[in-house]
Amino acid sequence: MWKTLSLILPVLMPSWRFFKTIEPSPRVQWRFLTDKNATTGDWQDFRPRPQAVTAVQMIGRLFWNPVWNDNLFVVSCAERIEQQRTDRSITEITQRILADSDATQMNPQVRLVQFRLLFVHRDGADLVEDIVFVSDPVAQPRGPSC
Amino acid sequence: MLTLDAALRATEILLALAFLQQSAEYIFGSRAAWMLFGVRAALSIGLLFGVYGAWVLLALCVHSIFVLHRFQGPYNGGSDRMGLLVLYCLSLSRWMPTAALQEVAFGYLAVQVILSYFISGQVKIINPEWRSGRALGDVFSFSVYPVALSLRALALRPRLLWIASWSVMLFELLFPLSFLNAGLLILALILAAGFHIANACLFGLNRFVWFWVASYPSLLWLQGRVFPGG
Repeated sequence: MWKTLSLILPVLMPSWRFFKTIEPSPRVQWRFLTDKNATTGDWQDFRPRPQAVTAVQMIGRLFWNPVWNDNLFVVSCAERIEQQRTDRSITEITQRILADSDATQMNPQVRLVQFRLLFVHRDGADLVEDIVFVSDPVAQPRGPSC
Repeated sequence: MLTLDAALRATEILLALAFLQQSAEYIFGSRAAWMLFGVRAALSIGLLFGVYGAWVLLALCVHSIFVLHRFQGPYNGGSDRMGLLVLYCLSLSRWMPTAALQEVAFGYLAVQVILSYFISGQVKIINPEWRSGRALGDVFSFSVYPVALSLRALALRPRLLWIASWSVMLFELLFPLSFLNAGLLILALILAAGFHIANACLFGLNRFVWFWVASYPSLLWLQGRVFPGG
């Protein structure tokens, strides 16, 4: 009951403080591991943004933008992990990495997947990246042929 | 002048379309909780065609609690909050026993829409980084929002950022004044919709467009109610 109230009250009495300050910005990176002790996998950006988007694509995304909206949810999860770590948020990110990596890459040597969170912020004229979280390696689900 | 009933019906149609767009993204796109959003889509079709309107709104409210629990809050922050605020105010208005209470519930939505612009402007203008254009530069430079790497180059255009920052802040702060005149309000809402469309193009925030537009009939109705003929 209290949980439900805590979810509904911010909807009924929103703060509307959009972009009050520009907070450190999360990036999710992931890698494959062959076993728990391996350190070989290169970190890769999760769903890297494209170099350019055409005006037609921008207009089209007014009506159809599921991946980007899911990315924004991943950002929310990353911010929750940084502020108050919850298994739920870690699982949400892990599931998406597993789903995407399974669809794009399948190496028979790969056994585990791991992700980390970087937070980018400005320090004077420089941009600084801080690693704030590294997940435990999670087993990659195996298909019937593996 | 827009009557309360016409404004409520217009809001129902716009909200139903916004929910259908959102549900389609879950069901056919990200496939996050697609079964949950299949239910929302079915209810939204009922709302769109005015079938058992008040009961459908009530069902959507109950359903929203499951969605909030599923994602531990709104899936997409401010846009989902506005969508649910529209839903809750609309539902309250439909279920209130007297005309006066119906107006209070729907009027609350209009007041929140005005505040959504005014408070956003107020928190920015007291921040020196926003006044200098630096904050908007940071949005383009390192925030997660620019939809393409090429847009990050806009962080290197300080004069453009300064003009854009002040345009946004002044528009948001002055938005409540448009409420004094019907014609001015329509113009302000067109500008506001354009602002949301620009945010959707540059930052991918497409859901803001549909949920904020769904809230606009409440403002048009309240303006006519408070300033008849004005």
